[in-house]
Amino acid sequence: MRARRWPVALVALSLLLALAAPPLASSAAAQTVDDIIKRGKVIVGVNTTTPIFGLIGADGQPEGYDPDVARLVGKYLGVQVEFVPVTGANRLPYLLTNRVDMVIALFGITPERALQIWFSIPYATEAAVLVAPAKQAVKSIDDLTGLRVGVPRGAMQDLILTPQAAAKKINLMRFDDEATALQALISGQIDVVGTGLLVNRTLNRNDPGKNYEVKIVLRPLHFGIGIRRGQTDLLQWLNTFVYTIKNNGELEAVSRKWRQLPLEAMPVF
Amino acid sequence: MDYVFQFGVVWRELDALLLGAWLTVRLSALAMALGLVVGVAGALATVSRWRAARAVARIYVEAIRNTPFLVQVLFVYLGLPSIGLRLRPDQAALLAMVINLGAYATEIVRAGVKAVPAGQLEAGTALGLSQWQLFRHVVWLPALRAIFPALGSQFILIMLASSVVSVISAEELTAVADTIVARNFRSFEVYLVVTGLYLAMCLAFQAAFAAIHRALFARWGGA
Repeated sequence: MRARRWPVALVALSLLLALAAPPLASSAAAQTVDDIIKRGKVIVGVNTTTPIFGLIGADGQPEGYDPDVARLVGKYLGVQVEFVPVTGANRLPYLLTNRVDMVIALFGITPERALQIWFSIPYATEAAVLVAPAKQAVKSIDDLTGLRVGVPRGAMQDLILTPQAAAKKINLMRFDDEATALQALISGQIDVVGTGLLVNRTLNRNDPGKNYEVKIVLRPLHFGIGIRRGQTDLLQWLNTFVYTIKNNGELEAVSRKWRQLPLEAMPVF
Repeated sequence: MDYVFQFGVVWRELDALLLGAWLTVRLSALAMALGLVVGVAGALATVSRWRAARAVARIYVEAIRNTPFLVQVLFVYLGLPSIGLRLRPDQAALLAMVINLGAYATEIVRAGVKAVPAGQLEAGTALGLSQWQLFRHVVWLPALRAIFPALGSQFILIMLASSVVSVISAEELTAVADTIVARNFRSFEVYLVVTGLYLAMCLAFQAAFAAIHRALFARWGGA
């Protein structure tokens, strides 16, 4: 019986390889604002593991800066908002495979990502930073040699540090999401964590006494709402929407609520 | 929009993927060896004449078999530092895999040991075999032969389950794939190739098990 299983397994393997060969076309049609309104709900990918920008609240619903922006999207479209939790690593596949209409999940605007998706104009100011306890002497990337640096996989901190990690002997460790990376810092499994500008506040609240502080600002960032390429109608609406909430005080209120900071001026494109 | 498949980006990263697959193979092989040792010890404990040993084995098996592997992995890596045990991601992954596999192996080995007929033991005793000889020739080899297929399936399962240790940053095959996808967003292409690699590793392990089976039980004849 053992002998008979072999051909079956080999057929399965060759089927897989055959699948790899021919190019297939996916079926998703361009989506318009009308399509979303007709459906009565907008499906938004949000991060639910990052303090300030998105966590699961006590009521089980996503809460934070990004979910609040998503709720404003729903309000102005006049539809319900359906949240889908995404991570830094899977938000793009979720978008490209039509599982969400848009991603509002700390999506830093970069030219590399713009090869795959379209971004709205910025709705949030952030930075990719490195955070460590006060006693950790780190002033520049060169000081990271020999240290265990945890980053969320695929996040900006990962992309910036990966090209220099080998040469500078940085022990770069990639976690599936930000929450696990932060937990690893608290557990002492890593020395430095790659995260956002204000996360040290949350760390100090949950793990007092270590005085977590921002050690290095790797890159200032603006977040945009991500949609699939070619959706001109939706992009035009989203840009008008972001412009509106930036200027009518609604985004200012979201910023003060979650970041305890006024809304900074943001460049547009 | 139309999705254009590009497998070129996967072949460019093949070295990294193979390195990840190699860690998967090493973790799995070590976990299988150590997990079997734990399983045999656990099985002997469950049939022990000491009540305490039986109770400890019972609690271990039930606690592990009724909790998710992912939670066990997170507990070993992120929870144990609270009591002073700080393991590297690959060490934590291995420990979690051994503990998990050990519990399942305990149950499998126990079933094999129990299946040895009492008359066979009595015959061995009657022939004047020592305790060790009795275990080795009368209990262990027949039991191992009976449970070999079940044990093989469990070994394959733990290798497949090792994909979740990417959450604690162990750089095995799935973690490497996730990292590549995060960089070039070619999820279909990358995960398809990774699926093929897992399948190939399963076949290789099954071939190894078949070879071990032949080497151990050739003189017994039959399947």
